[in-house]
Amino acid sequence: MLFFSYFKELVGKEVTVELKNDIAIRGILHSVDQYLNIKLENSRVVDQDKYPHLLSVRNCFIRGSVVRYVQLPPDGVDIDILHDATRREARGG
Amino acid sequence: MVLGLQQFVERVGDGSGQPRLDADAGEEMMHVQPGVAIVLGGRLPESPGTLYISTKRVVWLSDADRAKGYAVDFLSVSLHAVSRDPEAYPLPCIYTQIESEAAEDEESEGSDSECGQYLELSKVTEMRLVPSDPSQLDTLFDIFCQCAELNPEPREEGEEENSWFFGDEGMADDGSDSEWQPSENLVNPIGYANGNHDLARQVLELQINDQRFEDAEEVEHESQGGRQ
Repeated sequence: MLFFSYFKELVGKEVTVELKNDIAIRGILHSVDQYLNIKLENSRVVDQDKYPHLLSVRNCFIRGSVVRYVQLPPDGVDIDILHDATRREARGG
Repeated sequence: MVLGLQQFVERVGDGSGQPRLDADAGEEMMHVQPGVAIVLGGRLPESPGTLYISTKRVVWLSDADRAKGYAVDFLSVSLHAVSRDPEAYPLPCIYTQIESEAAEDEESEGSDSECGQYLELSKVTEMRLVPSDPSQLDTLFDIFCQCAELNPEPREEGEEENSWFFGDEGMADDGSDSEWQPSENLVNPIGYANGNHDLARQVLELQINDQRFEDAEEVEHESQGGRQ
């Protein structure tokens, strides 16, 4: 549940979600669930020339299983805490 | 479960035109929305039709042609959104992306879908649902969210949450990065002659009084700090 807990801390921050089909969508993280389904607000496609169909949608829901990366805001990452948390998670702690 | 958009023509026989759901598998109807047009890929809208949202999939059935209908499992719906931007599409709609088997060939999606009558359903990666009543869009979006949450990736039987293996499993773990502590009961502890006590005694008895073998003077440098 590490990522679920971690992403909950990022609610309200701007993230960029890159899907497995290469589309990247930037928006404010509205919510996340245990399956890492992501809801974004004020979302827009990063590369608009390449993907004009999805110019800007107010809210979107992204299935967790199609997410490749979630790009985080630089001020949203505490490397030390994340490092400790991942190590604890790996040991089943 | 099959990935991607499918033909769907199985209607309940009572004349209501409702789609036949898989009740044995627990599939239930969540929402029915009449007056919805469907837009597949870059094609023209198809209407009139009715949208049926079940716990497992999205079904659109044509009101005019009883042999026309489409369905897609929620497992295949990668994302959905309310689209109100006229530059993206002239009409407010629910925009969805569909994950399909034949999705690698992205460029063909638009052109193939528009080739006259023939529609390659397995290549459809975008689907729009245009309700005649745009005020229903937020409701439809919420229902899509609920149903997506009902359909997470299926986990195989017996697959644990933590099925990963790490090289340091089994080591003494007090939760911190402690140094490896050697056991007290080593078979051949360093400093012992491994049973050859004669050799040990001979070494102990050796005495050398040469100045050259005296300990060197301690030079100021970082010591081990008593970590033994």
